[in-house]
Amino acid sequence: MSVQVVAAKMAEVELKDVSAGKALPAESPVTPTSEDKTLARNEPQKEAGSSAAAATSPTAEPSAKAGEGNRGLLTPSAAKMPQASALKHSDPQQNGGDAFVNRDGTVAEAPRMKKKKIQFADQKQEFNKRPSKIGRRSLSRSISQSSTDSYSSAASYTDSSDDETSPRDKQQKNSKGNGDFCIKNIKQADFGRREIEIAEQEMPALMALRKRAQGEKPLAGAKVVGCTHITAQTAVLMETLSALGAQCRWAACNIYSTQNEVAAALAEGGFSVFAWKGESEDDFWWCIDRCVNVEGWQPNMILDDGGDLTHWIYKKYPNMFKKIKGIVEESVTGVHRLYQLSKAGKLCVPAMNVNDSVTKQKFDNLYCCRESILDGLKRTTDVMFGGKQVVVCGYGEVGKGCCAALKAMGSIVYVTEIDPICALQACMDGFRLVKLNEVIRQVDIVITCTGNKNVVVREHLDRMKNGCIVCNMGHSNTEIDVASLRTPELTWERVRSQVDHIIWPDAKRIVLLAEGRLLNLSCSTVPTFVLSITATTQALALIELYNAPEGRYKQDVYLLPKKMDEYVASLHLPTFDAHLTELTDEQAKYLGLNKNGPFKPNYYRY
Amino acid sequence: MAKDKNQIGGSWVDLALPEDFPELYTEERAEEEEEDTEEAAKDRAVKCSPTLLRMLKAAESRWTPHFRDKAEPSELWLKATEAEALKTNMKIQFNDQQEEFNKLPTKAGPRPLSHSVSQSSPDTFSSVGSVSSEDESPPQEKPQKTSKGLTDFCIKNIKQAPFGRKEIDIAQQGMPSLMILRKRAGGEKPLAGAKVVGCTHITAQTAVLIETLAALGAQCRWAACNIFSTQNAVAAALAEGGISVFAWKGESEDDFWWCIERCVAADSWEPNLILDDGGDLTQWIYKKHPSLFKKLKGIVEESVTGIHRLYQLSKAGKLCVPAMNVNDSVTKQKFDNLYCCKESILDGLKRTTDVMFGGKQVVVCGYGEVGKGCCAALKGLGAVIYVTEVDPICALQACMDGLRVITLSEGIKHADMVITCTGNKNVVTREHFDRMRSGCIVCNMGHSNTEIDLTSLRTSELKWHRVRPQVDHIIWPDGKRVVLLAEGRLLNLSCSTVPSFVLSVTAATQALALIELYNAPAGRYKQDVYLLPKKMDEYVASLHLPMFDAHVTELTEEQAQYLGISKHGPFKPNYYRY
Repeated sequence: MSVQVVAAKMAEVELKDVSAGKALPAESPVTPTSEDKTLARNEPQKEAGSSAAAATSPTAEPSAKAGEGNRGLLTPSAAKMPQASALKHSDPQQNGGDAFVNRDGTVAEAPRMKKKKIQFADQKQEFNKRPSKIGRRSLSRSISQSSTDSYSSAASYTDSSDDETSPRDKQQKNSKGNGDFCIKNIKQADFGRREIEIAEQEMPALMALRKRAQGEKPLAGAKVVGCTHITAQTAVLMETLSALGAQCRWAACNIYSTQNEVAAALAEGGFSVFAWKGESEDDFWWCIDRCVNVEGWQPNMILDDGGDLTHWIYKKYPNMFKKIKGIVEESVTGVHRLYQLSKAGKLCVPAMNVNDSVTKQKFDNLYCCRESILDGLKRTTDVMFGGKQVVVCGYGEVGKGCCAALKAMGSIVYVTEIDPICALQACMDGFRLVKLNEVIRQVDIVITCTGNKNVVVREHLDRMKNGCIVCNMGHSNTEIDVASLRTPELTWERVRSQVDHIIWPDAKRIVLLAEGRLLNLSCSTVPTFVLSITATTQALALIELYNAPEGRYKQDVYLLPKKMDEYVASLHLPTFDAHLTELTDEQAKYLGLNKNGPFKPNYYRY
Repeated sequence: MAKDKNQIGGSWVDLALPEDFPELYTEERAEEEEEDTEEAAKDRAVKCSPTLLRMLKAAESRWTPHFRDKAEPSELWLKATEAEALKTNMKIQFNDQQEEFNKLPTKAGPRPLSHSVSQSSPDTFSSVGSVSSEDESPPQEKPQKTSKGLTDFCIKNIKQAPFGRKEIDIAQQGMPSLMILRKRAGGEKPLAGAKVVGCTHITAQTAVLIETLAALGAQCRWAACNIFSTQNAVAAALAEGGISVFAWKGESEDDFWWCIERCVAADSWEPNLILDDGGDLTQWIYKKHPSLFKKLKGIVEESVTGIHRLYQLSKAGKLCVPAMNVNDSVTKQKFDNLYCCKESILDGLKRTTDVMFGGKQVVVCGYGEVGKGCCAALKGLGAVIYVTEVDPICALQACMDGLRVITLSEGIKHADMVITCTGNKNVVTREHFDRMRSGCIVCNMGHSNTEIDLTSLRTSELKWHRVRPQVDHIIWPDGKRVVLLAEGRLLNLSCSTVPSFVLSVTAATQALALIELYNAPAGRYKQDVYLLPKKMDEYVASLHLPMFDAHVTELTEEQAQYLGISKHGPFKPNYYRY
């Protein structure tokens, strides 16, 4: 349930974009007012809430907003962070499309194995530019699909809090007298606790981990400093780490994704949490600094999502790395930064890339998208799939998922692909491989999942039939050339949130979903089960790094060992009441394997 | 990939079988050929002794009697035949194979014939195979001459050439990729100056490959990698076409090495490329003509067995030319395992049992590539599928694909069919058999005949009743019947066929590997074993797309730049999982 709100929230954010960008009045029922207020109140020093929407946008989804070039100019002038915004917007302005990389770096991020990989070139560019400008760097956090960023209903409850002072200025203390945290309102703790308990129900793997590790404490002595989205799911992760013996200090990796009541519950539970919803950029770095810079406490593990925490420590407290046993990084962005560092020979501790583990990748891409394509289309358009002609652009993991789902619904599916190997796979799976312009006249739905740019261009849109639905499941909003539709002869009509009708002079209508942004993030939800995979992977990576014998990991970026990957999978099997077969000793010997895994060589493709 | 077959078993079984079950001809042949040595090795291990030496001896002794006595096929059959190769499991298998390898290579000369008939080796038998030649004298001793006066070849009967030509023409229809390759190469000859010595199955499909290489400018000399798989008519057609072929069906082991020697040791002709299937040719050159390696530009090896030998050599620092492993290319792997098995599971079961799948409860053991293919096919026909797995990642995949993951003992009581594709041994044991319901069908799609514990069924209280070729009813004292297919050997090799299309993928991969090695600038490949470059792999796939009338989209300059890749590929990083 909490997840559904995410969608709404996403919707809001995106609506805001629109309104800000196009200077349209916010017409949706979900106006961002409440958030704006909070923000404005939290940061009175910022703009007076006049251009509230504009203010939120840079903070919430900086790059996303930045992407819309025209608005790039608007925001900075309004905002009080000229440098930051200038920086932020410099990239985008060079290339309107690229900006979104970020956002998606942000938003889409982790998912899509294919995309992401293809994307490398870009991201590198980003990297090259970004890291040099430290402090005022724009917030390049990622909301990865599998990051724990679902919003619960509590969010709205929190938003209406009447507290006007910034949390930084308040004296805070939990019921036990501990004051080493900084959150919005400790009184919400009870409510947050309930949220956490709900999340626990849906994350059996972590609970199993707690149980299995009850006796021994694999993380005894570990001092983990973390920077992730602070949501109920993360809270379950933190409490699991704590149950395994670790001490944790936590900050948010996104200024807007924190669930205040969850943070309160964590603080009440004795965790040093520094996060609230709607931080300013200053607040953001202040929180991270408070997290790291404590007397008499030096972290020895880092759990990061986006690389900001690592970056901060690297710049401000390089000495700390002496004690640090390892970094666990989840986002594509962060992993890239680590690879950059490693290449430059500047990485001085081992780092674990949990993003590319088999289990996580399959869930983020194949399984998640297989469900969300139907969900997203149904929610927005209530279309019926049987017999509809659908063209899916791209047959990577996401494309495979979409095609499988649509085929099961009885659609006639066409595929376009550039890679002959994937193309051959599509053929063998029984899909017609075509070029987009061959079928564009006859299809009812166009779905892009290539990770590429301008896959669907104005020419295609001009030739579509009336009522054709166009949406993007891919990497960023670059796949559909939406800019080419912003011409005077075309009328845009918003019929629902996330649904635009674009009307041609001859009255032909095209249905564009989420304005070309990711359908699965904008119009459907991320199941907790997927988040559970991510959280479990993170926990196991921490355990692995912490307990690895000296010398197993050098100063490099590692993938999660296959055995751990398999363990993550096995922790999730009870959910399906699945009974794993065990090798007998004789069989294990025959295969030359250990009875307990790893079962496959590293190059196995699954 | 199917080529793990090292041992003897395959070949001699072949000899014996046709006589026994003439009616089965095609199927069995396929089987025979495909039988792997590996399995044979395992069999031996089980039956004789685990030590390799003994195994080898046993193998040798078996071998000879065989030749002498072709009349007892059924027993041999049991012992020797295995179906081997395919299956992802192959990977799991490595350890074994290594063992095998370590031991085998040391015994050079009279080693049992360790060739592999891989599923994707071009080893389908055409009707030609069955032609019984009246000629009794061994081909070596006959003077042979083509109509053009060429004498540098040795085959059974040159007169069959026209017939073989027809076979080749038919095969060309099924292998569009090679024909496209010929066309695309057109004027330029990427293999001009290449001297290829090859050792593969000699079938119509191989002939298409050889003639393609010739059309691309290469000179070829060819021997058979299996003493029994040669199609005499095709060999005749090749010889008539001017290619030096040394092969006939039913060679003795002596003949086998003699042919290879003739192939390699030609006057004033030194090969600069090797195309091998099973590693025998490479080994022969390594042992007998090491000086030839100086001129060699590379080795292309297709079988798992051969590749293992190469890795051994490479590890020992003894590999002195680059070698290309074409077995593990993405396209080939997917076709050998996933796509091929997806079709052959249904085909094999239908041919043998005429069973109806809808609503049947099926237990599939193993959810690797083969298991995924089987499940997808069965699900498509409305079967209720249960999966058993040992690897939690694959198990989770099965869950997400909507299949129940259970242990075999849980599901065995109500299963209508049990299909093994684990690559493991003794997956279905006597205990399971005892608990099956009457009429349960048991078959193996996996790696070898070890998956089903057959020996436990050879007890006096159970009656075996052969109801059709490849179908045995095993009858319990209480009247319960279990249907065992192909005596636990590979169903897809024993009871269904390998489509030309799959062979075409292999042949195209081999041809491209040769071109790559031959044209690579000096220094690109060192003395190591390489995978086919991704770009070539993609090219193989693209050669097969016209078959499907598939139209690949091209990147625009702008898009290519955005993605940071070349317009013409490679499109994916090496670690991409497809």
